[in-house]
Amino acid sequence: MALVKQETSVTQAGTRRHAAARPIGLSIPSLVLLVLSFVSMMVSIYMIFIYAPTDAVEGNPQRIFYFHMPSAVIGLCAFGIIALGGIMYLWKKDERWDWLARAAAEVGVVFLTFTLLTGSIWGKTIWGTWWSWDARLTTTLILWFIYIGYIMLRGYMGHTFASARAGAVLAIIGVIDVPIVYESVNWWRTLHPQAVLPLGGAPQMPPQMLLTLAVSSLAFILLFSFLMVQVYHLQKMQTLAQRLRASLE
Amino acid sequence: MQGINYLIAAYAIVWAGLFAYLAFIMLRIRSTRTELVAVEELVREQQEKVGQNDYRKNE
Amino acid sequence: MFLTQTIAILWKDIRYELRSKQTWTGMGLFAIIVLVIFNFAFDLRVDTMAAVAPGALWVAFVFASILGLGRTIAAEREKGSLDRLLLCPVDRKAIYLAKLLGNMLFIGVVELIALPIFMILFNLPLQAGPLLLIVALGTMGIAAVGTLFSVMAAATQARELLLPILIFPLIVPVVIGSVRATSDLIAPVANDPPWLGLIAAFDVIFLSISMLAFEFVVEE
Repeated sequence: MALVKQETSVTQAGTRRHAAARPIGLSIPSLVLLVLSFVSMMVSIYMIFIYAPTDAVEGNPQRIFYFHMPSAVIGLCAFGIIALGGIMYLWKKDERWDWLARAAAEVGVVFLTFTLLTGSIWGKTIWGTWWSWDARLTTTLILWFIYIGYIMLRGYMGHTFASARAGAVLAIIGVIDVPIVYESVNWWRTLHPQAVLPLGGAPQMPPQMLLTLAVSSLAFILLFSFLMVQVYHLQKMQTLAQRLRASLE
Repeated sequence: MQGINYLIAAYAIVWAGLFAYLAFIMLRIRSTRTELVAVEELVREQQEKVGQNDYRKNE
Repeated sequence: MFLTQTIAILWKDIRYELRSKQTWTGMGLFAIIVLVIFNFAFDLRVDTMAAVAPGALWVAFVFASILGLGRTIAAEREKGSLDRLLLCPVDRKAIYLAKLLGNMLFIGVVELIALPIFMILFNLPLQAGPLLLIVALGTMGIAAVGTLFSVMAAATQARELLLPILIFPLIVPVVIGSVRATSDLIAPVANDPPWLGLIAAFDVIFLSISMLAFEFVVEE
């Protein structure tokens, strides 16, 4: 009984902190992140479409790159966060690491989906094909499926401790497997050499392009952080709600 | 501007997607918060009931 | 002590499986049907057969493996024997190893039956030794990851759906390696990467990790 009471007051405090900024429904740090991401996004859009020079070889479609690359890096790193959260959860048994992992999974898969979509469209303009089975694309697709598997598994298992442990194991195996997948696809593709894909981001970029990329990356990182904070709180509330509901029965 | 169609399509997809996802999150946060408040109420009611029983037992 | 536990659990599982012969025949027929379907799907003629054969073989084996993995763990959960086993102070790693070996044996028997039929259907008389090695190592890779995840997925409602979704992306290196290695047996290519080495490395890495991670999955 005392435990339940303790939990109630914790949740009350949590919701009160949120309710403090009730007019918009967001806490102060969240609001700051939102404003920062919005501003940096506006700046980066100006830079992408107007400031950055047009690529000599590819023309305007090359500008997709400024959205595509930050999404890709974030989508990849988010999986690392899931694995880190999993390892820390298994080690410290602190639920907050699991909330972090679940948040990273959700937001990460969104960014990775954008990576695949923008990459496909960009590919259509420069290679004439919507898809190619080279190592980078194929591994990204496989990673996307691992994300989906993780989200489905966590969805089916709910907000239990078993679910957190299972998720952690999946993430750890996934993070070790992905480099192996990349290498094996690489070996496989060297037998059937594809048209050499232009990296489109090689160090020979003029400084304006690099600056645009930097600003765009910053915007994406801020956006990612904002979304992470929201989903983290969502996971926390869902876990507490499920636990309280269970204690009723 | 040549090749602008694909460019705009790509950005439109990302922006629409981001807004849709943001809306999705906000909706879920709202519904979870409502559920949490409701469950807390139920727990409080149950605690009061038990407290009353204990009180009566002490009498 | 550890080995004794493993063998004991394995023996129990084997005796149980020997009683229910339907799964074996089902899996075997499934594998052969997949091979036959490939003939229709790709309109195989004598000249194209060798190119498609390795892929057909491994598609059949991967699907049959997933079937087998799903079936054994479903039966386990129904009987509740896994839960009872967990009550005993048995080393969790031994349980994993026993399950793994059981799965490999189970899938292996089906593969042994399917292989001669494969060689006949695709007109590919291959040397038994190297082929068996590839099949063994490849199956070990699939089973190493599969055993771990089948126990994980068994706790959920949609276990038959979830298991392939979890396993397929993770076993991509094994599939690529096995198909290429088999293909090399049929038509050796110069300067080919060490596919067998890749599969073997995969097996070692993921067998160890799965064995260690298993206890986190069954912890209550």
